[in-house]
Amino acid sequence: MQNMTNQKKTVLVVGGGVAGISAALDLAAGGHRVHLVERGHDLGGQVAKLDKFYPTDHCAFCPLWTEIRRCKESEAVTIHTLSRVETLEQAGVRHRAVIIESAPVVDPALCINCGRCESACPKGVARPIWEHAYPPVYVIDRDRCGDCSACAEVCPTKAIAFDREERKVELDLDEVVWAAGFDEVSLAPMKEYGWGTHPDILTSLEFEAWKAEAGENRGKILRRSDRAVPRSIAFIQCAGARDLRLLPHCSAVCCMHALKQAQWVKRRTPEVDCVILYTDLRTVGRDYYEYALRDFDGNGVRLVRGRPSMIYPLPRGGIAVRYEDTSTGKREIRQFDMVVLNGNLQSTLARQPDPGARPDLGGEGFVTPASISCGFVMEPADVTESAIQASSAALRSILGTKG
Amino acid sequence: MTKIGVFLCNCFGEIGGVIDLESIRKRLESDPAVDFVTVRESLCMPGDAAEAHARIRERGIGRVLLGACSPYGRMEMVRLALVKEGVDVRTVRAADLREGCAWVHGKDPAGATRKAANQLDMEIALLQNMRGSKDVAVGIQQEALVIGAGPAGLSAACGLARLGFQAHLVDRGTAPGGMLNMITRVYPTDVAGPEKLAALVEESRGNPRIRFYGKTKVASVKGYAGDFKVSLAGPEGSTSLRVGAVVLATGARILFPQGLYGYGKLKGVITQMEMERQFASGKPACRSAVFIQCVGARNAERPYCSTICCPLSLKNAMRIVDEVPGAKAAVLHRDIMTPGSVLEAYYRKALHKGVQFIRFDADRPPEVRGDGQVSGVEVFDAISGKTRTIETDLLVLSTPLVADPESAALARMLEIPVDGHGFIAEVYPVHPVETRNDGVFICGTARWPVSSDQAIAQGEAAAVKAASFLGRQTVSALAMGRVPGAKLGHAEADAGACTGCGNCVAVCPYRACRLQRTGNRSVSRVIKVRCKACGSCVSVCPNGAMQIPEQNYRVTGEMIRRAFREVR
Amino acid sequence: MPTAASNVNILVFACRWCGLIGADAAGRRRMELPASFRVIPVECAGYVEPDAVIRAFASGATGVAVLGCHVGGCRFNDANHPALKRLELLRTLLDATGIGGDRLLLGFGTAHEYHQWADTIRAFHEHVAGLPSMKSWLPAAVATGER
Repeated sequence: MQNMTNQKKTVLVVGGGVAGISAALDLAAGGHRVHLVERGHDLGGQVAKLDKFYPTDHCAFCPLWTEIRRCKESEAVTIHTLSRVETLEQAGVRHRAVIIESAPVVDPALCINCGRCESACPKGVARPIWEHAYPPVYVIDRDRCGDCSACAEVCPTKAIAFDREERKVELDLDEVVWAAGFDEVSLAPMKEYGWGTHPDILTSLEFEAWKAEAGENRGKILRRSDRAVPRSIAFIQCAGARDLRLLPHCSAVCCMHALKQAQWVKRRTPEVDCVILYTDLRTVGRDYYEYALRDFDGNGVRLVRGRPSMIYPLPRGGIAVRYEDTSTGKREIRQFDMVVLNGNLQSTLARQPDPGARPDLGGEGFVTPASISCGFVMEPADVTESAIQASSAALRSILGTKG
Repeated sequence: MTKIGVFLCNCFGEIGGVIDLESIRKRLESDPAVDFVTVRESLCMPGDAAEAHARIRERGIGRVLLGACSPYGRMEMVRLALVKEGVDVRTVRAADLREGCAWVHGKDPAGATRKAANQLDMEIALLQNMRGSKDVAVGIQQEALVIGAGPAGLSAACGLARLGFQAHLVDRGTAPGGMLNMITRVYPTDVAGPEKLAALVEESRGNPRIRFYGKTKVASVKGYAGDFKVSLAGPEGSTSLRVGAVVLATGARILFPQGLYGYGKLKGVITQMEMERQFASGKPACRSAVFIQCVGARNAERPYCSTICCPLSLKNAMRIVDEVPGAKAAVLHRDIMTPGSVLEAYYRKALHKGVQFIRFDADRPPEVRGDGQVSGVEVFDAISGKTRTIETDLLVLSTPLVADPESAALARMLEIPVDGHGFIAEVYPVHPVETRNDGVFICGTARWPVSSDQAIAQGEAAAVKAASFLGRQTVSALAMGRVPGAKLGHAEADAGACTGCGNCVAVCPYRACRLQRTGNRSVSRVIKVRCKACGSCVSVCPNGAMQIPEQNYRVTGEMIRRAFREVR
Repeated sequence: MPTAASNVNILVFACRWCGLIGADAAGRRRMELPASFRVIPVECAGYVEPDAVIRAFASGATGVAVLGCHVGGCRFNDANHPALKRLELLRTLLDATGIGGDRLLLGFGTAHEYHQWADTIRAFHEHVAGLPSMKSWLPAAVATGER
């Protein structure tokens, strides 16, 4: 076997979430050069937005802060945020990529996180970046900005500029690792879920942000419609997933995600009745089954096996969920104060219309073994699986072997 | 002792707008420990670090105190910028005057100023009294030991070899491959087990970087990260190795369903492995087959899902339908565990092939019918609410993977914890193949039940992590912190004061403390590369012999004394 | 907003993970807290020994708080667990010595729970402010900062 160890590679890692960061660090540790491309303002991906992650039920600080800091301090890793792959070409055994890098309105090298821009902004467009960013800075959403420049005037370090040009970065690469993660897919076309018909019918990620300790409600469990404490919440599994009409795949993480959310609601506000309507309760993974069984001295989450046929707002308030409870065989119509829909997660690459900017995808939108990938773009996977796949992807890109 | 240079940051008014920096400056200047105090508009803007360093050099001071913002943000970047300029990071301390003071006491500027003065005094006490931990450079042996040559171990060994490291691959069997060698079709690609492993086995054979020891066990492992002294017991006697990293890939066992569902009593009740053998020997001798899931799993005794049994039944059920003309197959389950895209598609494939799926509840398991030979299974179909009897002459029981007791014994040898089910836990979900013991990695089913594809991926992950570790060649004990590069120091026992009570040995989460006999006494010795400076040993030491030099008793005591000192 | 009370001197031992990040998050949100506490960052709550707590009371502290990560969330693999047990035991001794076990606060949380961090500090301040003044163990010279 050819000794590959002396050849240092230059690798493009697309995606700065858990998978991308893990792959980048493994490559950097091996002495290879990494260009890490992230579409958002900062590294961290979906896990950074989570209030808590399973199975530890802790916040995202421990898994992410250290790893992000190591990425940012690594001389081998060049991070491109607010960036996207414009084109990717194969040139023999090498790859040529063109990255479009947008510059943030607030220069993170100069932002001291003082927040004067937020106080000055009449539209509430300046906001702190995510909770555990290193370093913490402010970001300004250009799309919602009214161009008044009030923020630029008060910024003590002149960190704000609206006229920064996009940069085109051309890269000559040995390998590409796809780690671009997932997005939620709109459930609007699936009328039976009622998403969009009532403020208290939310997707799981909307609920996660709404109930977050560091969010606007400081961790309180409240209805979105009137900020009252809900009496009951239904968590609906496989919404949009395992469904040939929308997403045929199983999103893998939703059963545990719903259990995590529902159990947390019970611990925070024990009087709220939490029901999970599931098809198969997929608790594959270390200690996940035991996690699902936790019932907090008899006041646990109620697990009901059945799929809803209709979810709709009731005229006098509340939301009706019509479903069959397969353990009794009876059809029920129950009223819930809130409904959380789980399942509608899809690889971000599947929604990328330009084939020149993404690898070959299989029928369900996941990256085929012809390219090196890890995390959700390869297969729906949780943090642990994504981290394993990321290290495996790092090895394959170092050795130049495919999946 | 060298004096201290103090830089106070106004932070464009964010700090100075609340805290009276002038009064603090005057106060600090009268402290005999302080050489100079500078109040600056900023410390973190481009050029600031260079200017600060120029001042430090000009005054020839050895320690720096910053009064700045939070250690989770730009202040940390200021420290690193100073390090880039050549300042020793351990001599730079900072008090959080912004997030920790000005920003939370905005309505009480006098109180905030007093607090800032106290906190700065406390940091001065720390700088004056801290000592440096003696570092130790660890030369890392450039070879690795891989225990277990199943898919995970083979994958790890091949990965290591390809990355340029010598791998010693040990297995208690005669040849690499493990259980997978006996499987004629592996889901979901339906490739034969040996074929799946063929490339890896081929690579390991005759590979100068992989040395395979068949019919060999690990007799003992001593030492720690970078330098493990291993003793192997093989057919030719014992072999000694010195390796820098150990990968544990010893696999798991399958539970035998003794006494369950008529196994051992009725003919035609078999395990999945026995099903495999029937396929291997030609057509299975049956007219139909029923598979029962979660046999001995997801119950009180084994409250876990074994990951592979659902796809395994799908595979074998489809095979029955394909290979036995006219055969029917039914899977009796409590949940079908096929997460993801590939496995869910595999499930749909089974449905299209006509495999029947019947759900039962844990409290109402199926009952086997038959006299001498299985004739059918009666099951309460939890979806339809009806009891059904399915005629069958073959009943296949899906049993879980269970931990191999030898894995647990090895884990104890390697000083890593085993979980309640006997599997070996990783240190944290984001580091899924690393353990609490640096240099020891875990992969495959010894870690947790997984498929062979997952085991191979974990082996690759372990190879990358182990290779990164070995590739450092030498590393300092101070670099081996829980947060890389940010270790406080390491604990150290004063041999003269230590009474050998052993409290530290018991409490250390990393087994970093050992009692060593010197003469007729025992004294504690800290293995520096293992110590993470958590301080557990310090707090249980009855007489203060154990200390972390950077935060020794004098430091803490002085900080406590200065915390509420009057500020004039 | 509790007013400054001269009998409230709270020494906080905070681990620099969950213990201090909550403070950091509260700070970024400009949550107003009483200026009666001082912080000694430690690697882990496991470092804090009963001796240090007693010393704090003997050096002018009228309340001591030990803040760390949830048991099960300690990045040093449960090093905080023996600390919790040890310090609870100390609380009993503090009652016996007349200092009062309620002058010791043990808070274990996660980094996200910044508002809990703030509420804990404020509540502890109020509680200590309401206690009768502690018998002073300090010789006058030490109290004024002279050696």
